Amino acid sequence: MATNHRYPTGVLPLLMEEAARRRCIEARFIEVLERAGFAEIVLPIIDYAELYPTSKDSYRFVDREGELVAIRSDFTPMAARALAPAIAPGDLPLRIYYRGDVIRCNGSRLGANREMFQIGAEIVGGDPAEGDIEILRLAADLARTLGFEPSIVYTDSSLVAALPALRPVLATKRMTDDVPRTLRTLAEKLVAGTAALEDIGPFAPEAASRLSAIAAALPGFEMHLDDFEENGGYYTGLRFRVYDAQSRTTLAQGGRYDNLYERFGTPAAAVGFTFTIV
Amino acid sequence: MNPLRIALPKGRLQNETLAAFAAAGYGIPTEDDLRTRKLVFVRDGIEWIFVKDGDVPVYVEHGAADAGVAGLDQILEQESTAYQPVEFPFGRCRMMLIAAPGAPPLTKVATKYPRVTRRYLESKQLRAEIVPLAGSVELAAVLNLTSHVVDLVETGETVRVHRLELQDLVAEISPRLIVGKHAYRTESKRIRALIARIEEACHANLQR
Repeated sequence: MATNHRYPTGVLPLLMEEAARRRCIEARFIEVLERAGFAEIVLPIIDYAELYPTSKDSYRFVDREGELVAIRSDFTPMAARALAPAIAPGDLPLRIYYRGDVIRCNGSRLGANREMFQIGAEIVGGDPAEGDIEILRLAADLARTLGFEPSIVYTDSSLVAALPALRPVLATKRMTDDVPRTLRTLAEKLVAGTAALEDIGPFAPEAASRLSAIAAALPGFEMHLDDFEENGGYYTGLRFRVYDAQSRTTLAQGGRYDNLYERFGTPAAAVGFTFTIV
Repeated sequence: MNPLRIALPKGRLQNETLAAFAAAGYGIPTEDDLRTRKLVFVRDGIEWIFVKDGDVPVYVEHGAADAGVAGLDQILEQESTAYQPVEFPFGRCRMMLIAAPGAPPLTKVATKYPRVTRRYLESKQLRAEIVPLAGSVELAAVLNLTSHVVDLVETGETVRVHRLELQDLVAEISPRLIVGKHAYRTESKRIRALIARIEEACHANLQR
């Protein structure tokens, strides 16, 4: 066979120096996580595809038994599926972390980084308000561990669902004529970036109270009430992203997903994040 | 602080887009600048780049540019998730389904917009083969390569000359200022200032 120097799109080996660098980052992360009381879980690299209807960008294939299986593309639902049957009410809150590769067939439309090394952590159960703040603080600490000055932007993913009539306005950031009169002032403020928690309170009281607790505890973090995602996925509450303040690159993202564990048989609220290590 | 990078479309929208930014008080690249081989122009603390119109949403989507100007045709075709905070008053046109002379039954559609066309056909529960072309799309219908085309119609002159038939509106098209989600989250102050300036200039222009 002729020597082939090519690799499939989006994957590359890490040779000695790069591997050493990654192991060093990993070691520092784990030290912080374990000190914060998080315990590691190890998840399989493949699982039945039908369990993860939201993981649309996973590589799938039929195994020897004729079952459709998917390669890991997102740790969060896999952690829920693994932990849900094992959780007894007395065990909560659980603090866990995981690390490893995820592979996405559309990792990016530019074709880069289909295989990504991630380290994630989550808190299952416990007081949701305290959990949100603890997980945000931990994400900031981990970013500092990497030598970055974190800039954290957060919102509540239930806001868009609470204001369906404002979806087009939030998606474009432009006022449209079809905004109902009762929502015009709010829409204008959201577009201008001047909306405050008092403004959304009447429409989404739970989200407003969650966000106000976070704003009080973490004044340096940026609240963006007008943040919008086409597809919110499994997130039900807090939603955040961690950036390096200097270069503006994305370091991590995460949020609260209170219905995910229920899907796998045991209702439990959870909040977590994932760092993608490059 | 890194400069903001703005991607502007070459071609159909280029001159009016530059005029809009100039009206908003931005120091834009001059015609002499544009004749050079340079790819990135720094003016007023902003990096301006000029790319093919369909590539603007791609640059913005991936964060290679913070903002840009793109027609809704390209925004839809590239499935851009960028915000569209300003709709410009110039460059409006319509994306239409156009039939070949004699209006044959719909079997094949030539277009520069295969994704938009696929979604349009699905929404109308129509079945037809899509033939992606890079330009001069009407020619496909004129030469009977396809029964129909989906393309932008500005004045309707081409349609009249070739006795083509406008059959249905696919979308009303206007150019928009687009802003990447990443830029909006990480540079909200500067981005909001940019949006406000452009919006004000467009508004003033409309009232004149």
